Amino acid sequence: MILEVKQLEKSFGARRAVAGINLLLNEGEVLGLLGPNGAGKTTTLAMIGGLLQPEAGSITIGGWDLQRHPLQAKALLGIVPQEPALYPQLSAAANLRFWGTMQGLQRSELNKAVAEALAVVGLTERARERVVNYSGGMKRRLNIAAGILHRPKLLIMDEPTVGVDPQSRNHIHETVKRLQCAGTAIIYTSHYVEEVEELCGRVLIMDAGKVVAAGTVAELLRAAGHAQELVIKVNRPHQAVLSRLTAIPGVREAVMVGQAFKLLTLKAEQVLPLAYEYLLSQGLQVSAIEIHKPNLESLFLKLTGKSLRDQ
Amino acid sequence: MKKCLAITAVGFQQMFADPMYLIFTLALPLLLTWAMSFLPREAGVYEMALLGVLVMFVALNLLTSAGSILEEKQQGTWQRLRSSATPYRAIMAGYLLRFSLVAAVQALLLLLSGKLLFGAPWNQGYGELAVVLAVYIFAMTGLGLFLAGLFKTQGQVQAAATGIVLVGSMLGDIFFPMENPSTAIKFITAISPQSWAAHALKDILLQGAALASLVKPLLWMGGLGLLLLTAGLLRLKTEM
Repeated sequence: MILEVKQLEKSFGARRAVAGINLLLNEGEVLGLLGPNGAGKTTTLAMIGGLLQPEAGSITIGGWDLQRHPLQAKALLGIVPQEPALYPQLSAAANLRFWGTMQGLQRSELNKAVAEALAVVGLTERARERVVNYSGGMKRRLNIAAGILHRPKLLIMDEPTVGVDPQSRNHIHETVKRLQCAGTAIIYTSHYVEEVEELCGRVLIMDAGKVVAAGTVAELLRAAGHAQELVIKVNRPHQAVLSRLTAIPGVREAVMVGQAFKLLTLKAEQVLPLAYEYLLSQGLQVSAIEIHKPNLESLFLKLTGKSLRDQ
Repeated sequence: MKKCLAITAVGFQQMFADPMYLIFTLALPLLLTWAMSFLPREAGVYEMALLGVLVMFVALNLLTSAGSILEEKQQGTWQRLRSSATPYRAIMAGYLLRFSLVAAVQALLLLLSGKLLFGAPWNQGYGELAVVLAVYIFAMTGLGLFLAGLFKTQGQVQAAATGIVLVGSMLGDIFFPMENPSTAIKFITAISPQSWAAHALKDILLQGAALASLVKPLLWMGGLGLLLLTAGLLRLKTEM
C-alpha cells in the first residue's frame, strides 16, 4: 500500500470542502479522480500534497504519516499541477536540476535523473532552451518531468492534458502507462472521460466533499445501468426549455452543455420523439442528435446531476 | 544548506533575467544619486538626500522582492516547493538570503557611487554603518514578508509598498527637513524605519556616532522587523 487516506476532513469557514474521504492506493495503480467544480478534489489533492493541513483524518504515504514525518512522506511524492509550475527564465535542464535538488537528489545522481526525465517526456533535444520559449504542450511535458525525476512512489497528476495538442496528449498518456508499469501509483484527475477510461484501473467520483462512487471502470459502468445519454444540439438552448425536457417521462437527468441538451434515459427511443417535438414547438432548430451508450460521463451525470465537460 | 542556496540561486537567475528589475534596483537609484549631487552642499542637505535615496530604494527593493513569493504562488512554483521534501525553514532561508544579499549589494553600490563618483564625505564608521544597514534590511525584509502574507497578489504588495515607502521617506524628515511639523508628521517620523535608518546613517557617516548612541533606532527597527517577520512567516506557512 503506497497511499492510505482515512476519514479526511477540511472546511473553509462554514463550507465543508472534504467530508470524510477514505482512499487506498497500491503500487502501480492508476486512480482516476472525477468530480464537478467544488467537489473537493483540489482540496483533497492539496492535503495529500502536504499543502493544506487536514482538520481530521490521516494521510500515510509509503508508511510515513504525512503530519508527523512530512519530509519522509513528501520524498515519495511527485506532483504534476494543472498549470506548469516552472521557472520560465531558466532552461528545461536548469529547472529539473533545481527541482531534483529540492527533492533531495545528490549531485552524483542529479544529472542522470534529469537526462532520464527529459528522455521520458521527449524533450532531450530542447533541454538547454529557456522554458519561456516552449509551447504549451512542451511546458506540460516538462511539468511532468519535474514531477517524476526523483522517481516518486506516488504521483499526483492534476489534469495534465488540458489544452494540449493531440501529439503531446498521446505522449502524456504513454508516459502515464510507462510510469504505471514501473510501479508508480498515480492519482489522475481529468475532465476527459475517454482518457480516464483508458488509463485508470480504478475511478473515484466525488461530489460535495464526499465519495459518491468508487470502483473499477467496469464496475462503475455496471452501476450506471443501461441508461443512455441522448445529446440534442440546438441553436438557442435555454434554462426554461431544460426544465420542460427534465419533466418528459423517462428522463432521469438533463443538463445543458454549450449548445446541447444532454438527457439521461433508459428509453431513448420513447424520449427522443417527445423531446424533438417539444424543441420544435419552441421554435428551436435541432442541428444534431446523438445517442451514447452508458459510459463514465453518463454515470457522472447520473450521480452528480452535472456534466464532466461543463466544468 | 544546499537546498537553501539553490533557492537563492534560482531567485537570482530569475531576477537578473528581467531587465526592468535591474533598471529599477540599480540604474534608477544611481541616477537619483547623481541628481542629488547638484543639491547645495551645506548643512548636511546633500548627504541626507543621498542617504534618503539609499533607504528609499532599499526599502522598495525589499518589499517588492518579498512580494515575488506571491508571483511564485501564482505560477505554482511555491506550491511545488512546499510539496517537495524541503523543510519550510530551508525554503524561507533561501528567499531571505536572496532578499538580504541583493539589498546589501544595492546599498553598498549606492554608498560607493556617492563617495567615489559624486564626492559624498563618507570617511568613517564603516563597522557601525554595516550594523545599521543590516538591521534596517532585516526590518524591511520583515515588512515585506508581512505584506506577502497579508495580500494575495504581487500587484497589491507593490501598491502597498509604494505607499509605505513614499510616505515614510517623503514625510519622514529625510528629503525635506521640517520646521514645526504637525502631530501626524511627527508620528510618521517616529515609526518610519526609513527615517530612523537615514538619521542613524547620517550620524555615523558625518558625525562618527558610535553604536552606543544608536541603541534606540536599532531596537526599534530590530523589534519591528522581528515582529513582522514572525507574522509573515507564520502566515505564509499556513496559506496554500
